[in-house]
Amino acid sequence: MLNEIGKQIEQSFAGVSAETGGEYRLKVEADKESVLSILGFLKNHSYDHLALISCVDRIEAGQLELVYLLNSYMESDDRYGEREKGTIILKTTVSREDPEIGTAIHVFQNAEPYERELHEMFGIDFDGHPRQIPLFLEKDYAIPPFRKDFDTRDYVEKELESIPAVED
Amino acid sequence: MEILNEKAVSDSTRELELYFGPQHQGMVGNFSITLKVEGDRIKEATANPGYLHRGFEKLMEYRNWIQNFPLVCRVNVIEPGSMEMVYSRGVERLAGIEVPERAKYVRSIYLELSRAASHLFGLWAYSNMLGFDTVSNWAMYHRDLILDLFEELTGGRVYHIYIWPGGVRRDFPESFPDRIRETLHEIGGKVPDYNNTFFNNRIFHDRAKGIGTINRAEARNMGGTGQVLRATGMKYDIRKVEPYGAYDEVPWDVPTREDGDAYSRIMVVRDELIESVHMIFKLLDRLPEGSVYNRPANPFKWKIPAGESYVRLESSRGELGLYLVSDGGNRPYRVHFRTPSYPHGLTVLEEALKGESISDVGNIMMSLYVTAPEIDR
Amino acid sequence: MDRGQLINWLKEPAKMSNKYSLHVVYFCTGCGIIEIPPSITARWDAERFGVKPVATPRQANLFLITGYVSLKTLKPIIRTYEQMPEPKYTVAFGSCPIDGGMYWDSYNTINHLDKFIPVDGYIAGCMPRPESIFVGVTHLWTMIDKGMADGYKRYRENYDRYRSNQEELYGELGWPPLFERDEKNAQ
Repeated sequence: MLNEIGKQIEQSFAGVSAETGGEYRLKVEADKESVLSILGFLKNHSYDHLALISCVDRIEAGQLELVYLLNSYMESDDRYGEREKGTIILKTTVSREDPEIGTAIHVFQNAEPYERELHEMFGIDFDGHPRQIPLFLEKDYAIPPFRKDFDTRDYVEKELESIPAVED
Repeated sequence: MEILNEKAVSDSTRELELYFGPQHQGMVGNFSITLKVEGDRIKEATANPGYLHRGFEKLMEYRNWIQNFPLVCRVNVIEPGSMEMVYSRGVERLAGIEVPERAKYVRSIYLELSRAASHLFGLWAYSNMLGFDTVSNWAMYHRDLILDLFEELTGGRVYHIYIWPGGVRRDFPESFPDRIRETLHEIGGKVPDYNNTFFNNRIFHDRAKGIGTINRAEARNMGGTGQVLRATGMKYDIRKVEPYGAYDEVPWDVPTREDGDAYSRIMVVRDELIESVHMIFKLLDRLPEGSVYNRPANPFKWKIPAGESYVRLESSRGELGLYLVSDGGNRPYRVHFRTPSYPHGLTVLEEALKGESISDVGNIMMSLYVTAPEIDR
Repeated sequence: MDRGQLINWLKEPAKMSNKYSLHVVYFCTGCGIIEIPPSITARWDAERFGVKPVATPRQANLFLITGYVSLKTLKPIIRTYEQMPEPKYTVAFGSCPIDGGMYWDSYNTINHLDKFIPVDGYIAGCMPRPESIFVGVTHLWTMIDKGMADGYKRYRENYDRYRSNQEELYGELGWPPLFERDEKNAQ
């Protein structure tokens, strides 16, 4: 099942590589311009559950790696088949200095909070997202907090521990 | 609630902006919602998370693989067992560690007890929100009996650190299965009283039927899992779709309802609680002999081979997943939790509150099982 | 009650009625909230100690800070504390408000709570059992009897330093200072 989807993706889109790895896992690597059309293609072929949008900071290569995880809801109400067991991992890379990519909201409605969190934690700009305002954080940080060059122990030492105690 | 600003929209209506804030009698957990109301009806709701953000995923990159276990169970304070299980399975899949047969059954029994305790906590929260204090006291008492079992097995009431890569940390004590059966008989014997007092009560039906309806197409579009989907008739449960532990070795059923409103979601919770109790009896009857732990060599000096893995399981709130990346060292390179309350609390809640009345905000939020520490991590 | 307690009550009725009816503000601040519902329901009944939750800070005189405090939560905590009428007591739960606990190296939590609001006592544990909560309440009674639970008086006296710590953390605060400068000099 996952093998056929992989071959169809390789035939329909240029510059894409798909390989199966482990039980029920398919890994697809693409460049950032074709990601949205691959997501639409997979949604039409019944992989319509966007589980997670995540990001990994590859600091040696100077890139941020975006990961989209897709599963399949059941088609009929009480039959559990092979297709629902599989997960498709779709990866792309953006540069660390100027990260930007188009938003996936028009394909999957629940992509909105994931992209908002990645904007404030990694600094990625999603073109066309309606509200890229802070979700969790209260203060502004010079480097986005989840990148590898932000040292959290250093930050606690300098900013939070330096506040004096009140003498009692 | 504080009144932040008023705008006179027309002569007959005024639009107010209210803060259903963190300090509120009807809020369980530290979460806030900003409401734009007109009279008594909500026109727009905005969820405001972030009061419990600790930056778990960054903290886990500074500690060894084995030092992360006490941290991981605090992501969801109400059901810590499923967090330990998902992290253990992620590490086992990357490192290729096998689990013995008896350990799979023990893990499943422990997870089902955890699920029953979490559903009883949810029942306390929901009936407290509606004002049924009798049923909330009963539910909290029965959950305390299950916590006594946990204290005998692992030493702690709330945080256990029991599931470990390679099995579980210690076996059942002498005649522990008999004590499990006694406790479950006591809880099961009280179910007719719960039915008569709460679930068949006319007041509960009037307050919960037709409120906060999410139909199947909307739930699929917004990434809903767990009770939000099962209340619309779809039997999507990770324990059947991609089985783990000992769930494919006992016969059991996935309970569903049809309508998709708050009443259906709470009735699905009740049916799941009863199904969990039956499943524990069946698992105890088939428990095999053997060891419960495949001891790995020196976990403090582990180096897990490079790679990535995505594992998922069914917690009491929905589909819980973990994306784990390793670069071959003794610390994780990237950890990302896919928690079920994230789409429910941020996307589904804003959709379900449109057009409802102010007095139903807590009702809808608790029936969607929104757990604030899971959203913020 | 026996003769000694009766004499105490006649001498200072306000103290006795204060300590035997501590009303708690209902605010779930951190992960310690998991052990509060068992304490206030039927099995570990807290109402026999006089402790019950109330809806608004204007009606309360005990503030329980359950667990760690993140940067975003500290603002509602300060505002709630300043709205409570005096005499008011603060008790912190868990090891996180003492010196950071498990999240000592997190960029979003504070490590020492008593730099920002005064704390009368700490209950150790992660999370403390309901029995520890009740032992803590009886210790608070002893402190009230001896006059040692004076967090609110320390806040009034050292308000300048508390306010400057809060401003150093957040920059501009959105609410005016609680006490004026001449009131502090007049003390």
